[in-house]
Amino acid sequence: MAIDRTPGSAASATADDAPAPVDRDGAGELAGEDLVVGYPGTDAPVLDGESLTLEPGAVTALVGPNGSGKSTLLRALATQLDPETGSVLVDGQDVHALDAKALARTLGLLSQESASPDSLTVEDLVYHGRYPHRGFFEAVTESDQAAVDRAVSLAGVEHLRDRVLGSLSGGQKQLAWIAMVLAQETDVLLLDEPTTFLDPHHQLEVLEIVETLRAESEVTVALVLHDIEQAARYADRVVALRDGEIQARGPPDEVVTERLLADVFRVEATVEHGPRGPTVTPERPLHEDGA
Amino acid sequence: MSGGAATGHQEGHAGRGRLEWLRDPSLVGLCLASLGVVVAGGLVQVTFGPFTMSPARAWQGVVDPAVVLDTRWMLKFLLGEGPMRAVTGYAAPDMPAVETGSLVVWTLRLPRVFVAVLVGMNLAVSGAIFQAVTRNELASPFILGVSSGAGLAILLTLVVFSGLTALLPLVAALGGAGAFLLVYAIAWKNGTSPVRLVLAGVVVSTVAQSLQTAMFLFAGDIGVVQTAIAWTTGSLTGVRWTQVRMVLPWTLVSMTLAVLGARQLNVLLLGEETARSLGVSVERVRFALSGVAVLAAAASIAVAGIVSFVGLVVPHVVRNVVGSDYKKLVVGCLFAGPALLVAADVGARLGMAVLAGSDSGQLPVGIVTGLLGGPYFLYLMRRQQNLGEI
Repeated sequence: MAIDRTPGSAASATADDAPAPVDRDGAGELAGEDLVVGYPGTDAPVLDGESLTLEPGAVTALVGPNGSGKSTLLRALATQLDPETGSVLVDGQDVHALDAKALARTLGLLSQESASPDSLTVEDLVYHGRYPHRGFFEAVTESDQAAVDRAVSLAGVEHLRDRVLGSLSGGQKQLAWIAMVLAQETDVLLLDEPTTFLDPHHQLEVLEIVETLRAESEVTVALVLHDIEQAARYADRVVALRDGEIQARGPPDEVVTERLLADVFRVEATVEHGPRGPTVTPERPLHEDGA
Repeated sequence: MSGGAATGHQEGHAGRGRLEWLRDPSLVGLCLASLGVVVAGGLVQVTFGPFTMSPARAWQGVVDPAVVLDTRWMLKFLLGEGPMRAVTGYAAPDMPAVETGSLVVWTLRLPRVFVAVLVGMNLAVSGAIFQAVTRNELASPFILGVSSGAGLAILLTLVVFSGLTALLPLVAALGGAGAFLLVYAIAWKNGTSPVRLVLAGVVVSTVAQSLQTAMFLFAGDIGVVQTAIAWTTGSLTGVRWTQVRMVLPWTLVSMTLAVLGARQLNVLLLGEETARSLGVSVERVRFALSGVAVLAAAASIAVAGIVSFVGLVVPHVVRNVVGSDYKKLVVGCLFAGPALLVAADVGARLGMAVLAGSDSGQLPVGIVTGLLGGPYFLYLMRRQQNLGEI
């Protein structure tokens, strides 16, 4: 009845040297077309007819001031919000044509809400990432274990594996959650503000994972970031939003300019283009209407 | 058990076989301790009562081969006399003879213990499910209006539609289920959320409880009021094999579904957005699991009335012991729920006799569970900082 596993040579062999998730069939192209997205109880939609296609295999950063609609756009792409009009396509297929589990094998989301039972261990949490890969009566398989091992190793939480979430710091928890979405082994990975509220060390830990995905895997990544310099450094493409409209999109060097910082973030800043991408030095806030 | 699967990937990590988690020592300990309480409580229950016999005689009665090994008796208990005769072709007017002691134990005292076991199971698991669905550790099986709906249906039956009194168990269960559906309909607005469900539960409960209280004013005589109170506080007085037969099938169905749904419950606990991104159809799963919990609660209402606190306290105790993994939690509730209810029913049935020295009065078991549950929560309040978070 139970599916027995031979003590895993395959699992431990792949754990160390293969951070890149396998088992990808699609190209990992995610596109939102003419998205009109609002929240119940508000009149005007937050996004009014925006389109965005994520370049397969690349890292796209969504930036913008608070309330600019960047998280809304990401959550619409993640099919967490139903657009009033417009559609979301995964590898050319409308998301509504896929069943929930099939979609979850293609499209992963690190949510901002991180409600988790304190007594759950990191390993158990990461195993939840395998949910869409398991049938109703199926036990854990070798490929589940291998995926969890890879995810735990890539997220750098091996030393936390048997700890319960309640005993972890905010940054450690975030890494555990990232390990969970990595274990999902999706073609597209959406990260909603993965670095917000983290200390610098854990911000860099998270961004290092993104860096690894960018360099060593075919995963399409989109993430919402507050720090425009981080966006410029870790992303292949930057999308800047303000008031629910995409103001600029393209490679960091083209998008991150003094003009954009003034227009979108209302910040006067100097931007210098160095070998590691643009560096941004904010000078002072700009006030509208000459205030 | 998936033999030999414990040796997983890296050294030191627990195995991931299908049933590996059942070997958790805290879960095994909890189940054995609960089983001990059930057996001890059951033995007390079969020993004492108006028909006096020695403990040894009563315990012999429990294992009397003349009953236990006689398929006619067993089928009569589990299916009823008519079906038993149809199955076995037994035609004699009287049942096969057994000693009076065994007869008292098997026909009067044991069914009450069995009903307590089944009701305890149903309420504990139902509460555990509702705590996950509403993401609130203080949720009970009755949070979504089930108890107030059932209570109103009971009062309406007793006071207004007294012709339906014979169908009271069914009416009570249907009243509870109806109130739950009403709560869901009120909470639904492009989907539900835990908070909206709980608020809708408050709305329906408030109205139904007012109507229920008003109904008491129209009750003609004290007998009707006492019956109503016994039903609305939960009582196992006078339950027989009929009640076992009534609750057993629904218990089997709902408990099986609850065990199977444990993985969905675990994923629901991660938050709606995460659950959805993992491929869970959140609304469908939430409604289905709530339905399972209501089925369990309604089945227990039909035989025991509205027993409070079991569904609230037991999942809580079990969670403190085995953690919040619903696979373990549900299994733990299957054992701990019966333990609490059987023990409480000992107090309900025999407590008055011990305290007041009379053998006439029996308390509704719901009063005893309430008396135990209140202080337990006081203890938790004092000990735990973040009571309420799951």
